[in-house]
Amino acid sequence: MNHLLAWIVAAPAIAAAVLLVLPDSARLPIRLVSLIGALASFAGSVVVAVDYDRVAGGMQMAEEWSLVPSLGISLKLAVDGWGVPLLLLTGVIIVTGVLASWGVTKRGKEFYLLLLVLVSGVFGVFVSQDLFVFFLFYEIAVLPMYLLIGIWGASHEVPQRGPFGFAWKRFAVGGKEYAAMKLTLMLLVCSAAILVAMFLLWKEAGGKSFDLAHLEATRFSLATQNWAFPLLWLGFGTLAGVFPFHTWSPDGHASAPTAVSMLHAGVLMKLGAFGVMRVGMVLCPDAAASWAWLVGGVAVVNVLYGALCAASQTDLKYIIAYSSVSHMGVVMLGAATLTTTGWNGAVYQMFAHGIMTGLFFALVGLVYERAHTRAIAKMGGFGHVMPAVACFFTLACLSSLGLPGTAGFVAEFLVFLGAAEGAHSWWAVPAVIGAVVTAVYVLRACKTIFWGPPPTGEFAHLTDARSTEWVAPIVLGAALILFGFWPRFLLDFIDVASSTFLARIAPFS
Amino acid sequence: MSTLQSWAALAVLAPLAAALLCVVLPPLRKAGKPAAALCLLSSLVSAGSALYLLTQHETGSVSRTTIPWIVFGGKAIASIGVHVDATSVVMLVVVTMVALCVQIFSTAYMHDEKPSSYGRYFTLHALFLFSMNTLVVAPNLMQLFAGWELVGLTSYLLIGFWFQKPSAAKASVKAFWMTKLADMGFVFALLVLFVATRGFEWSARLSTETATLVTALLFLAVVGKSAQFPLHVWLPDAMEGPTPVSALLHAATMVAAGVFLIVRADPLFAQAPATRDVMLWIGSGTALFAACLALVQTDIKKVLAYSTCSQLGYMVAALGAGSAFAGFFHLGTHAFFKALLFLGAGSVIHAVHSNELADMGGLRKKMPWTALTFGLGALSLAGVPGLAGFFSKDHVLSELEGRAGWIPWALLMLTSFLTAFYMGRVLIKAFGGAPSAKAHHAHESGGAMLLPLFVLAVPAVGAGFFGGKLAEWSGAEYHLHLGLTPIVASCLALGGIFAALAVFGRGKTAPFTSVLEGLDRASAVDRTWAGLYRHVLLGVSAVMGFIDRYVVDGLMNAIGYSTIESGASVRRLQTGRIHDYAMAVVVGALLIVLWGVLR
Amino acid sequence: MTLTHCLLLASFLFCVGVYGLLTRRQAVAVLLSLELMMNAANLAFASFAHFKGGPGQVFVIFALAITVAEVAIGLALVMLLYRRYDDTALDRASEAKG
Repeated sequence: MNHLLAWIVAAPAIAAAVLLVLPDSARLPIRLVSLIGALASFAGSVVVAVDYDRVAGGMQMAEEWSLVPSLGISLKLAVDGWGVPLLLLTGVIIVTGVLASWGVTKRGKEFYLLLLVLVSGVFGVFVSQDLFVFFLFYEIAVLPMYLLIGIWGASHEVPQRGPFGFAWKRFAVGGKEYAAMKLTLMLLVCSAAILVAMFLLWKEAGGKSFDLAHLEATRFSLATQNWAFPLLWLGFGTLAGVFPFHTWSPDGHASAPTAVSMLHAGVLMKLGAFGVMRVGMVLCPDAAASWAWLVGGVAVVNVLYGALCAASQTDLKYIIAYSSVSHMGVVMLGAATLTTTGWNGAVYQMFAHGIMTGLFFALVGLVYERAHTRAIAKMGGFGHVMPAVACFFTLACLSSLGLPGTAGFVAEFLVFLGAAEGAHSWWAVPAVIGAVVTAVYVLRACKTIFWGPPPTGEFAHLTDARSTEWVAPIVLGAALILFGFWPRFLLDFIDVASSTFLARIAPFS
Repeated sequence: MSTLQSWAALAVLAPLAAALLCVVLPPLRKAGKPAAALCLLSSLVSAGSALYLLTQHETGSVSRTTIPWIVFGGKAIASIGVHVDATSVVMLVVVTMVALCVQIFSTAYMHDEKPSSYGRYFTLHALFLFSMNTLVVAPNLMQLFAGWELVGLTSYLLIGFWFQKPSAAKASVKAFWMTKLADMGFVFALLVLFVATRGFEWSARLSTETATLVTALLFLAVVGKSAQFPLHVWLPDAMEGPTPVSALLHAATMVAAGVFLIVRADPLFAQAPATRDVMLWIGSGTALFAACLALVQTDIKKVLAYSTCSQLGYMVAALGAGSAFAGFFHLGTHAFFKALLFLGAGSVIHAVHSNELADMGGLRKKMPWTALTFGLGALSLAGVPGLAGFFSKDHVLSELEGRAGWIPWALLMLTSFLTAFYMGRVLIKAFGGAPSAKAHHAHESGGAMLLPLFVLAVPAVGAGFFGGKLAEWSGAEYHLHLGLTPIVASCLALGGIFAALAVFGRGKTAPFTSVLEGLDRASAVDRTWAGLYRHVLLGVSAVMGFIDRYVVDGLMNAIGYSTIESGASVRRLQTGRIHDYAMAVVVGALLIVLWGVLR
Repeated sequence: MTLTHCLLLASFLFCVGVYGLLTRRQAVAVLLSLELMMNAANLAFASFAHFKGGPGQVFVIFALAITVAEVAIGLALVMLLYRRYDDTALDRASEAKG
């Protein structure tokens, strides 16, 4: 099919446009249109995966429309080895996300509309080969989050404490508006950094084209790279939850409604990591090599610090949110190793973590809808009343702690290997310890929620997953096992891109 | 793939197929009995292929098939497959036979479970058998690690099988965490090995430093998995699981995986004498320490659990002495008699509905067949001459002669005496004397439970005679000679039993009992780990959580706050009074003029 | 009489205007002060035109025309102010306060 990539990007947007003309009262049609839009993109992604020539590698299925010829901006879409798994991931998450939020009652039409626009942006980022359009899609993907969290989110209280307690006088820390505003402001400030770096590179490359291939062909001066790379790292890295700019993520993920958490932790954080690798490291290879010590050092902090923070949380959603901070640290660590193994691991971890955290948030949403609490201390024995949820939650936990046979193992182990064979072998040590701490907090949560004597009182009549709720756990759970047992389904794609990109860095590191 | 390798693959994949079917077809699993039948069938296939492999095995034959699992740029980083040699074939037979016996036993033992739980139980057993066989036939350390972690998972799920019991839930996560902590060693060992050799082969040639590092890290994992001091604390707690599970996982096979790993990686360990010295001490120390604690346990399963720790200590010590064969031989015989003992204990527990030795007594008349088979297992464990345990234990002890100033040898000799002594105690308390209140209504178990006992009793008695063949296959020296060690060991074993008769047969307590009970109650190691978990890990994490919420995020809030505040303070400049604005204009104009003049 | 004298007079008028603008609270007085400043500027224009030549006087005519319009609007504002606050003191009208 011609213009396959364009259709993948456009399908959710078209569905969103159709939603505009539907009346608010048309509950089922709204959901069906959204589902069709999501399914179309997912099906397209599967076709891309099947059609992509894994042996040849490189950019494939390219298509181009000129947008602003005078500045050299064009809508250029193509997919590479990294794009394929990430397209699949986005497709899976949006389909399951739409189904997981089947029960949204408040302003359903607007909810689905924003969700679909956001996903269009995500698909766009993964396939655009023009830096300007890349940025444009990036912003489209980030901004709807403000409304999605601000309107459909949930608030909770954070007690006023600590040396900066005075800030509570001005805003309600922990509120959904607070979470939405913090997320948006932090990401926007970082977008500004990206914008600066982008124009810096564009100007030095002749000011004629934003085409990534053109920029890649330019060898930027060391001074430019040394300015551009940190800007890109912080700019994109904030979305990937890089310490200490990760603090939007726990509050954002905890406040967001189920499907939004799934998308945000599952896919959007990957946009950040993808940006750092695809734009930052590939365009500024020399600076990437000379800043690697910092990127990797901070990533190690992320892994361990995120895991330790997660271990101290009492709110289920915060546990999962902090685990995302920790696991995205693994991605950034893999990226910082600047080895094929590490990069393959990093991209694999993007996929594995996306699936895993999507599963986590889907299940948490399911539990929350029934129990109306997220405080794990109040739960207990839920395994008796919702055995399937317990099983899938355990599966997600296992992938999270990197158990062989799940996708998380392949990803984490490759990153550890990459770190061990890279320039800073010691990175592997805290990273592995982080995995052990992960085992502690996920299994403790699992035990507290699902194990123990059968629940009594208000929780005695909770029910297991029903109808559309089954889809997310089954699809995502199966994916975790499938890609854990046979990683070559994805690694063959990823490796061909990693080695191409890394060839730019290797001679200089 | 040759025929032999296909049979090995079948032994691995049959249980996987059964487990997968039960997982993806919830109605099948929830029906209970059909799922159990399917899993039993798969175990039967697995055991059959293993036995076939055993009959076909020829001395020195080694063959393997691998398929690339993780491939970069056309080169396999890691592969999976099957490796068929004497070690894997013998281990496969031990594992599948014990598993089959335990599963048959379970059909009766777990009879009262709901159908859905019954199905879940057997699904987990099939999953365990798949994982364990994956580990056993692994062609490299990578696959061995995968199996290693998967058996840890099934252990976690099976200990917590009765997840409504808080104690079981606690024990299962404890087991997982302790072994996971130790497994860091395995991960690091794999990383170091990969960096040094770009592969995960156990036959790699390494420099002494690297070999010492790799083996020390591997041994750390073994300490966790095989419950050696100081990571043994999870094993007694793991007895919260159903007794057949304790028999299979926490006595016969899974905990022996650590020993199996050292046997497998013997070429690596041979390059690291320093690690072997540590193993020698830890093994013999654990053997004695655990035997002391076994002496004062009141729960029959806990006696057996500490006894398992102790026997694993023998194996580790033998491997530390450099004799892979002695360790492996003892692993095999121990698997049979310990599984027999646990199943016998299960039979007793099933009859009296209690784990406490005090609730038993006089069962030799009520349950003669259980008493007979349990007695044979106990005597084999005690090392009574002629039984399987005697041969393997004797060989371990012979290998230790003269090592490290005879101290490990002496420790293990003392342990031999204690082993006979505490097993004598169990025999007397459970089967001798007069029945307690609960034991009055006990009656002999049914056929499904007795059959595995009889089957296991055969190797528990006779497996020792297989030692010569095993030695030939392993390329080791093995012949029984009437020397110092066998004589002393036999005397100590018999002496231990008679001592037990003399002490417990007359209702007395052993000397030092109060000291040992104090040691048991103090459980210093357990408390240390609990304290490390509670105060160090959770303490640090609480501090981190506070820092993140109130310092790191607080700083972000402070930035937002100061932005709002500075806006608020600048806002006051807008008084709304025209005169102020006019004044500002005039002052501004004057300043401009002043600037122009002064410039 | 030289240019200097004329300019001194103009600046004196301007200063008086500024002083009045800043000190008077009544809207009408402020308007008067504004007129004074305007006329100071006009005087400066005319003086320069007289002594140095150039089209300065045209600006004076323009400024006068504009002043007429300005006074009209200014007085209208004063009227509105009075209606609203029953007073012409400018302090009252501080709705622009931040």
